[in-house]
Amino acid sequence: MRAQAHAIAHRVLAAATTLSMTVRSRLGLPLTGAVLALIGALSPATGAAARQTDQVIPGVELGLVYETTYVPPIAVMPFRAVQGRARQAEVVHGIVAGDLRFSDRFQVVDSLPSLSGEGVDYGLWDGLGADWVLTGVLERAAGGGSVLEIELHDIVFASLRERARFSLPPASDPDYRLAVHRASDAVVTWVTDEPGIAASRIVFAMRPWGDPAGSSKEMYVVDSDGENLQRLTWDESIVVSPTWSPTGDRIAYTSYRSGFPRIYERDAASGTDRLLETGQEGQQITPAYHPDGRTITFAVLNGRRSDLHSYDVGRRCCLSERLSEGYYKNLQPTYSQDGDRIAFTSNRLGTPTPQVYVMPADGGDADLISPYRYGERSYFTDPDWSPLSSKVAFAGRVDTGRTRVGGIMRYQILVADLDAGANRLVQLTREGNNEDPSWAPNGRHIVFTGERRTGHGVFVVDTGTGRTRTLVAGVRAEDVDWSPLLPQNR
Amino acid sequence: MYKTRLLLAASAVVLAAACAANEPVPPPAPTGPTAEELERLRQDSIARAEAAAEAAARAEQERMEREAARLAEARRQTLLEVVYFDYDESSIRSDTREKLRAKAEILRSNPDVELRMEGHADERGTSEYNIALGNERAEAVIQVLSGFGLDADRFSSVSYGEERPAAQGSTESAWARNRRVEFILTAGGDELR
Repeated sequence: MRAQAHAIAHRVLAAATTLSMTVRSRLGLPLTGAVLALIGALSPATGAAARQTDQVIPGVELGLVYETTYVPPIAVMPFRAVQGRARQAEVVHGIVAGDLRFSDRFQVVDSLPSLSGEGVDYGLWDGLGADWVLTGVLERAAGGGSVLEIELHDIVFASLRERARFSLPPASDPDYRLAVHRASDAVVTWVTDEPGIAASRIVFAMRPWGDPAGSSKEMYVVDSDGENLQRLTWDESIVVSPTWSPTGDRIAYTSYRSGFPRIYERDAASGTDRLLETGQEGQQITPAYHPDGRTITFAVLNGRRSDLHSYDVGRRCCLSERLSEGYYKNLQPTYSQDGDRIAFTSNRLGTPTPQVYVMPADGGDADLISPYRYGERSYFTDPDWSPLSSKVAFAGRVDTGRTRVGGIMRYQILVADLDAGANRLVQLTREGNNEDPSWAPNGRHIVFTGERRTGHGVFVVDTGTGRTRTLVAGVRAEDVDWSPLLPQNR
Repeated sequence: MYKTRLLLAASAVVLAAACAANEPVPPPAPTGPTAEELERLRQDSIARAEAAAEAAARAEQERMEREAARLAEARRQTLLEVVYFDYDESSIRSDTREKLRAKAEILRSNPDVELRMEGHADERGTSEYNIALGNERAEAVIQVLSGFGLDADRFSSVSYGEERPAAQGSTESAWARNRRVEFILTAGGDELR
């Protein structure tokens, strides 16, 4: 029955290629069983919306009503092992199936009939409702490594769509999983023509394990699938706002290790740190890379105000003029995908609380993009510009009296679409507190820190489907930043 | 003639003796201390008086020292007393202004004293913005002290944002204790006048 429903939806897809209508508009239409099933899956969320209206920020669309684009079923068949790589083939299969699930582009078919023969029976899989079938073979290679060959079969058109080979380092190599993730990303790109997110990492700051009340905060990194959590600093100092370079080879961050907040740049491969000798005396925080990877723009605390400055990390010189003006706090810059604009946090309206603005990268007039109504005490910070579009994610709250729950004002994640005419705003989260959004390299997923009834954690939301997963559970992480797709030679 | 006188005298003696026998015997006349002893006594008395005076002076000295230490400690406490801020605010509250005025007086009497202001914020809001907010609070304090006529070069600042809370927990009272500026002596804090 379920397979049949997928098959119907799949036929619709074959006819129309894309099917994107909101649930709301669909309610008025005659519906097929398949679409009804989709609505059924979404209805608990709409029920929750009615109960939690106090979590909705006024003047902002709630991003709960997602376009129900068709999510094709994919069967990932057990990978075949050649020359005694059976255990590894199983592990690699598990990594790839997990990645495809986390891509939110497929319904990964879990229970497979044992069909791991030489060929793929298109007719059989069509009957079972799969649109895609992925097969894999793991072979031993020179130097202790192996080669993974994968094939993507298009069941709808009964043909082999793509085949590719990926060389994997020995399983003991720290970048072994990353190499497997690259194969998963290839599958996503074959099907969607868009980048995947598997071969990436998320960096953040956190109090060390076992010392949650301690005064130090260290830098940590975790793979995009929540595995391979590693501690990167051992300073017993404070790390704030780590951020990846556009190629993922460096991480800029603020550390108090000298007693004062200064910006350091870490070489991701060697782990060596370099203080940015900016020639500025003041405390320096919130670094952001220009998409060219050469310029770092950051905030310098100067008297009661803080201003944005830029520094050429390639030439190690040339601190530029102040990019923002006024007797206010300006900080947390983030560059647009083309490097022409900067979104940043400022209280330049004269309010005690910050708002998010956009201005030309070399300074000039700034436009307010966070929701603000005169007299309201709204607080919006943490902007992060999508690497692929003119969408800016940020976090904050509006104190209308209604957003208070038990005396605590809640923080939620918002996305401003600067291309969509009148600065369309969508609220992505409603449950608990949510902060520090950062875009994935596909400009579609967002990682953020959250607080739920079940505890603190790092979460990932797909802005396409609204699906949310826990990346790291039970940690009070802060300042999460999602890397670009990471280079192979690391 | 001589004999008569002698007789008279003798009878007088007898008479006197007879009288004496009837009267109580007077106590023997006291045998006074020697001059040497007197001198020693005098010296002892002087030594005692001097020791007493010395002890009294020492006690007074100690009392004054204790008082001075107490005052110095009180000044130190006044100087280092933490000041607090309202939520999201870096403006100086009126009670804080009085505290800063008291600090300014001590700073004026102790020109060698230098301070580092450490700004803090409560955990709400983003860690980065809270660093900027903590900095603004520290600088607001420096601004007020400079306004009292003190040289701003005697002050430095650092902001820890929400990273070094004074009180743990997510309660209003913990937050109120964490929105603060602390004062650290960086020079000349030994004997505050």
